[in-house]
Amino acid sequence: MSHRDAAPSEAFGARSPLGSLLDRRLVIVTGKGGTGKTTVAAALAIAASRAGKRVLVAEMGRGEHVPCLLAPVAPAVGYAGREVIAGVTVIRIDPLQALGEYLALQLGVRSPVDRALGNRSFQQLLAAAPGWRELITLGKVWHLGKMTRDDGQPHYDLIVVDAPSTGHGLTLLDVPRVVVSAVRAGPLRRNAERVEQMLVDPEHTLLLPVALAEELPTRETAELVERLRHRVGIAVDRVIVNGVFPRPFPQQVPDLDARLARLPDSTLSANLPRPSTLAACAHHLRARFELNRHYVGELAHLTGLPVVILPYRFEGIEHPESLTVLADALIGAPRAAAA
Amino acid sequence: MSAPEFAQRTLLKPRIVVCVGCGGVGKTTIAAAIGIEAARRGRRVLVLTIDPARRLADALGLRALGNQPQPIPRPTLTRLEVPDQGNLSAMMLDMKRTFDDLVERFADGPEARDRILENPIYRHASDALAGSVEYSAMEKVYEVYGDAEFDLIVVDTPPAEHALDFLEAPQRLLEFLDSRLVQVLIHPAFAAGRFGFRLFERGARRVLQLIERLTGFGFLEDISEFLLAFEGMARGFRERAEKVRTLLLGPETAFVLVAGPGRESQSQALEFLDRLEAFGVPLSGTLINRVRVWPEGGDPPKIPNDEHADVELANLAKALASGEGPDFPAEAAARAAIAAATGYAELVRRDARSTQELRERSEGHGRYWGQIPEFSGDVHDLDGLARIADAIFRTAP
Repeated sequence: MSHRDAAPSEAFGARSPLGSLLDRRLVIVTGKGGTGKTTVAAALAIAASRAGKRVLVAEMGRGEHVPCLLAPVAPAVGYAGREVIAGVTVIRIDPLQALGEYLALQLGVRSPVDRALGNRSFQQLLAAAPGWRELITLGKVWHLGKMTRDDGQPHYDLIVVDAPSTGHGLTLLDVPRVVVSAVRAGPLRRNAERVEQMLVDPEHTLLLPVALAEELPTRETAELVERLRHRVGIAVDRVIVNGVFPRPFPQQVPDLDARLARLPDSTLSANLPRPSTLAACAHHLRARFELNRHYVGELAHLTGLPVVILPYRFEGIEHPESLTVLADALIGAPRAAAA
Repeated sequence: MSAPEFAQRTLLKPRIVVCVGCGGVGKTTIAAAIGIEAARRGRRVLVLTIDPARRLADALGLRALGNQPQPIPRPTLTRLEVPDQGNLSAMMLDMKRTFDDLVERFADGPEARDRILENPIYRHASDALAGSVEYSAMEKVYEVYGDAEFDLIVVDTPPAEHALDFLEAPQRLLEFLDSRLVQVLIHPAFAAGRFGFRLFERGARRVLQLIERLTGFGFLEDISEFLLAFEGMARGFRERAEKVRTLLLGPETAFVLVAGPGRESQSQALEFLDRLEAFGVPLSGTLINRVRVWPEGGDPPKIPNDEHADVELANLAKALASGEGPDFPAEAAARAAIAAATGYAELVRRDARSTQELRERSEGHGRYWGQIPEFSGDVHDLDGLARIADAIFRTAP
């Protein structure tokens, strides 16, 4: 077996059985920048569509990243959304477009809305005012969740939100509550209350933190979970750890890198790299493995939550197989993933 | 740009170095390493950081918060080969407090100050007020810039949602305060039209009516009170913001873009580059942190795989087994060693591929391009930072 196929052999975290990720209606994926939350959002969408669910992935940034992961040649999805692969629709929620849609719904007509949006004062207000992008984006998610088919069934069984990185992600989720406390009356307050109810309903909404098993992401994830528990009130029941390096050497030879370093350079034929090079490569993988193992333990310890391990993909996540492997690991029980 | 020229531009010439880039790529580490190298070249340096990793904070002596520079002790500096005329301090920025300080400084007297600080809108919004947090970091830079104690400030920017919030936010805020909407809101009598403004105000009024319809009674009053109090400090704030901006875009400041080799980080860095260019920010160079490089340098060779490697594998297994008992899993170990080299070679190639576009874009404009190899384990002490400084400034990329 090559090191690539080997899963880490230590069991981390999981103590109690978890409900499936796919039972929720809304899963909000967040995490520090660079942890691969977009990848996780895409893998979750694949897992759900393979389970026969109709999935919507909502992106919130400027770019469209999920479609490129799902299909090799992906057309733009935009605000209207597009079914990128069978059963998976992707939409990019542009706050300004969502605002126009919301205002038109509130007023019942479109033309004064376009006048307001074209008004320079209003544009300056929007540029400086905090919170409205977040609120309107979540409002759109709420609206999408309420959409039904002709048979009365929800249009989407599962909505996966690829939320901004942790700091901004939490701001995002805090906004409805802040609006409810700052705005005393009116439709805006009622809308914010509905969004808030959706977010704090543990049957409906789950926040899925994505971490890397390194120092900063571990600390930030622990803080995120802490804040979710004590302030925001959105359910979180597991932590996804992405890119975990597998054990690189047979268990009986944990110091293989050091052994390689001791071999004289003349040991091997010219077809292989020098022993010192083999040692350096082996050392690198060992260091990553040990670092990851340490912080997976820290994550479980600091958050008190089960940890789902996604193995590092040496061939890159662009590889067609990778997302499928990650999808399986994602919905597998944490214990199975670590077995 | 050559490496010595990059060093000239980022270590010796500027008064301020701003490290920009998305979160999680090691901006703080790079900022600290730049600070160490500048101190080694005799400058008096302050590293101003937003949210350092705990062990990095420990290494820099930043356990205590408090918005005050913490000097690195002389014996440590000597060990890092910092000459007598150079020194290094670090400071962790308390952004909320910096913004409160700003209100304190520019408010129209203590009464106005308290009205702002206690206004519910300010309390809810000051950490979300469209880039105010990012701006307050730069505000602090400006304050320290006036301090003769340091001749170089290295700052890492907060992980902003919008790349250049720290430059753009004050402008947005001021435009908003100036807007007719705000003027109508806070000076309703003036705007009522006695001076013939009526026509201009119609659009603004319509927008206010729309907001009132959505938010009901009371909200606009809160906003109006907040803005009225805030308006009093607008002039001081405006002058200050203009000075900060002039400083940051001027010849005394150098910008360094920091990115990781990962796909996500690279695409964000490209977006960042677009914005920097659109804004006319003078970017000195791009540094890619934690790149996997082949131990012998250059491209990794093709490593023979199982079918063709039986002889090599056997040789390696034999060498590893030498001096071991019969139970030693020599063949498994040899396979693991080759698999490790194959896997690592793949990572090296992958990083080279993923960084190519950014590299071309960066070098295409005559900017410096540098790669910092990934060291095993986290970098969490000053010696580790010094090694990174060596990798940036003392070895060819």
